[in-house]
Amino acid sequence: MAFAESQNPLRVHRIPQSRYIDAVRWLSPVSPSDRFAAIAYFDADTNSPSIEIAYVDPNPQSSSPTLTPQSSWTSPSRISSLKTAHSTPQPLLAAATFSGSLHILASDLINGGVMESEATVSELGFHSGPVSAVDLREGGTECVSVGEDGRVNLVSFVGDSSKLSYRRIFDANGLVGYTAVKWASPSEFATGGYGFGIQWWDQRTSGGPVLQFKGNWCQGKTSGIVHSIDIHPSRKHTCLAGGSSGTVFAWDRRAAQQPIVLSGAGTGEAPNSLLSESEVWEVQYDRYTRRSNISNISSTRILPVMICSEDGILAVIEQGKQFLKHNYYELDRTIAKVETYIKRSHC
Amino acid sequence: MPGVSSDSARGALVPLSPESPAAAVYPLRHGLKSPISRLSISWSRGNSLRVSVFAAPSSDGSVNDGDGGKVVEVKLGGGDGEISEAHWRRIAYGSVSPFALLQSRKNAVFSLSKFSMNSSPYDGDWWDYIMEYSKDINALLVNQKSASVPVLDDPKSVITKGEEPTSLKAAWELLEMFYAEKPSHSWLPERLVDWLADYDSLFSGTHPTVHSKLVDFQKELVNLQVVEDDPKYWEVMSSALAVGWLNIVVKMLRLHGSYRLDQLSNRETENGLVEAVAVLISKMPRMRLEHEAGKLGECYKAKPDFVKAWEKWRGQINKLDSSAFWFQCAHQQTREGLRSMLQIMLGNANSLCSATYNWIELYISHFLYMRPLTVGLESMYSLAQKSIQLKPMASAHRLMGLIIGILGENTEVVLAECLKGFGPWMVAHAIELLTAGSDHAEMLLHEERQNLGGISIEELHRLVYAQVLSSFPLTWQIAPIYLISCMKHGMVLLQRLLSKQPVQDNQLLLKSIEICRLYELHSVTSNIMKIAGVHHWKHGRKGSGVFWLQQARDEYRLNRIALQLFDSVGKTISDESFKQWEGLIQLLGSDSKTAGGLEFLHKYRDFKKSLRQIHDGKATDSARQAVESLISLMKNPSTPQRFWLPLLYDSLKLLNWKERPLLNVSQTNLLLNKLQELSMARLRPDFIESELPPQALNSVRLALGTNLGRAILEE
Repeated sequence: MAFAESQNPLRVHRIPQSRYIDAVRWLSPVSPSDRFAAIAYFDADTNSPSIEIAYVDPNPQSSSPTLTPQSSWTSPSRISSLKTAHSTPQPLLAAATFSGSLHILASDLINGGVMESEATVSELGFHSGPVSAVDLREGGTECVSVGEDGRVNLVSFVGDSSKLSYRRIFDANGLVGYTAVKWASPSEFATGGYGFGIQWWDQRTSGGPVLQFKGNWCQGKTSGIVHSIDIHPSRKHTCLAGGSSGTVFAWDRRAAQQPIVLSGAGTGEAPNSLLSESEVWEVQYDRYTRRSNISNISSTRILPVMICSEDGILAVIEQGKQFLKHNYYELDRTIAKVETYIKRSHC
Repeated sequence: MPGVSSDSARGALVPLSPESPAAAVYPLRHGLKSPISRLSISWSRGNSLRVSVFAAPSSDGSVNDGDGGKVVEVKLGGGDGEISEAHWRRIAYGSVSPFALLQSRKNAVFSLSKFSMNSSPYDGDWWDYIMEYSKDINALLVNQKSASVPVLDDPKSVITKGEEPTSLKAAWELLEMFYAEKPSHSWLPERLVDWLADYDSLFSGTHPTVHSKLVDFQKELVNLQVVEDDPKYWEVMSSALAVGWLNIVVKMLRLHGSYRLDQLSNRETENGLVEAVAVLISKMPRMRLEHEAGKLGECYKAKPDFVKAWEKWRGQINKLDSSAFWFQCAHQQTREGLRSMLQIMLGNANSLCSATYNWIELYISHFLYMRPLTVGLESMYSLAQKSIQLKPMASAHRLMGLIIGILGENTEVVLAECLKGFGPWMVAHAIELLTAGSDHAEMLLHEERQNLGGISIEELHRLVYAQVLSSFPLTWQIAPIYLISCMKHGMVLLQRLLSKQPVQDNQLLLKSIEICRLYELHSVTSNIMKIAGVHHWKHGRKGSGVFWLQQARDEYRLNRIALQLFDSVGKTISDESFKQWEGLIQLLGSDSKTAGGLEFLHKYRDFKKSLRQIHDGKATDSARQAVESLISLMKNPSTPQRFWLPLLYDSLKLLNWKERPLLNVSQTNLLLNKLQELSMARLRPDFIESELPPQALNSVRLALGTNLGRAILEE
């Protein structure tokens, strides 16, 4: 495998911000021209964390797009994870913090993006220490949160109660820590953690994960942490994961313990299959470029994957191609991918 | 207590030295009601001081609101007024790549010059590299909040507002023109003229300037009906002419009333004179490469051409000055104003002096009208000294000090002015320009000095800048770039910086590890990982702790925590909690080298698993597997002694297997020996008794004995 630059390089715009950007997500567009993003900021000068809804103006006249803040919500602590559910025109946001609380926010994009805190879980014992990841069920009313404390919580928010109720699905008592989570279906989700481990859960089955994946990693390879998981709605048998040392792999639940390595060291292949050596912060199936012919791709092949890493690489990886497409993202594809990039040049 | 004023309820802090002339008192609002008993001051992030104020406990022991203590952060220094902190950070981040690129090019040039002895390292592309660096840095200094430029050209607007200039950019451009554009020294006077045109407004804050006079006049202009009657009109025009702002002067001249159609016929001669002066101004010969489009004046590159044009131009001015038309000009202000402008163009020293407001403006006017052929820093310096004598100033602007230092060819003064006026960023980056072409400066700045602890001035300033970067959470991650460019102390300080980073936040931890990877600081990596491992372990995140200690290959600590883990294993590893342990055991993996003493857990899991399967009814095969696990556990030196009895007790079912003995003679002997060893160990005072029924040992011994008998019979 080798890398090649894309034939038509996409443009990357930099929008320097004066604060840390802890997380950023697109909100589903109200209309094709109106695009909004939710950005979790941390102002190091004043020690104040916040989430802002910003209008993204593609600004065809000017050289770069602009962000216009619409509304802001002050968070009690820095945001450790931010997810959105794509309901329009009032998208829901789930924000987890380093102090171990979870906040459900609703934003009204038609009325100037006003953001309101719908509900909060912050009681002692929800998580001990930071919540490391959350995921909102698409269109649903449930949110799953995990932490390095080994707790897996299911938060349901039905009705307008400002206090959320949560159910402890599992508590590993810190013996296992979880760093990533992703819904697969209304009842199933996957978590990731240390040692490139992935766990498959079914909330109908109590007492722990249904399946665990450790992987037969090559000898001598240093292990790492899973930072992000994605599961394609049409291929629930495969978990896509990205983490330390530029590792991107997929776990096909039908194929037990052998990882399908898309990028990373120690894969046993030529060393140039390494896209990056640093942390892969986000992985996502490329839902934009090949929407039409997904059905043509064999179910054993991994769909094209978008990644972003600490060293500022934004790339699309395709399995089994002569070369991996390696290019920069267009900003409006997914701001989330640009997250780390902005973080590196935050000033 | 020193440092706290008697009025402790308001909590005013007083500087400790009483002889300090300007003792400033800054009240701190800490909101504590009870009197202060203790005060602790420490550095926080960046320029902040952290003041912890402890209240005295109330005498009656009751707890009131406002008791206890408060921590207040005090920010010292307001920073640079004209550049916001966010802009500073943008500059800091933006200058990283030009700096790193120049360093790598320097190294390449240097190593190349080692091979060919007779070629100077600084030729060929060298000046291009320096210039590229300087331009890249300069581009970062553009002010972000630039004023809007009007679309329509207002005839009455004499000065256009472009971007708001900053002293930092002005200073960098000075350094660029004197050090980076070295080969073009003969154009320096004209470059300074342009520079002043861009940055004269910067001096307005502390000194009267031509620019401020123009701005004032611009405000009045709207209300003026007959401009030429206002003496200020002529004054301002003379001043603008003196500093060479030709376009402005010509534009202002055309505002003269004689141009108005209704007056043209009465004031024909007057208008002719105004226009003649305007034409002369726009034809002024300039010794320079080229002009921006639309700028007035005629450029000459070669000295003889220029001198010829200059003489001709002055001849024309003299001719106009002595012409008879002046007597026909009825308007007195116009006559006097125009003639004083001619004096300026002729280089009349008194006229120049009265038309300018500070020494730099006077200096520039001398270049333009008296000594356009000035070449060389020495003569430029003496001219500057003369201008300062003519227009002395009480206080010097930071840019003026810099100019004097540059003209005086005194590298140390330039550095000191950079540091004083613009801070460590400026010095660290300006040194690249200072050393670019001057052997003297290079020697001075690269020489290792005893009084600096064996480092050079260059390294000192880079270290200082890196220190500033490291103390802010938003910029610490770019400090390594500067530290590694420091030969002597850089690496050590980099290691300290990385070791100092907090490990609580995973992202920060991973960033530190990433930086270690880039600079191949493997020992620092493993140290950081160890610290992180112990931190997580202590906070109950056992899995994370084990992971980091495994990554660090820290056998010692893994063995230590293994002992602690075994304690909880003995108590909690029941069937219900097995799922919790499962994850940790998976994390440990099969590679026993990285697992340390925890290898035991892995085998123990296998053993428990097969035991459980027996209960599930998958009889003999599972039982055989369980026996294998048991034997390998008992053979393995990493199995702690205190687990021997619980293991054997768990295996009673195997030992008493009904169908046939599962253990052969030698296996049984091994277990019996272990049991004997255990009995001996129980006599020692440090033995830890397991929580098993008291008859456990005997029942195991009995089972083993029975099994031995059966095994002998079978064999």
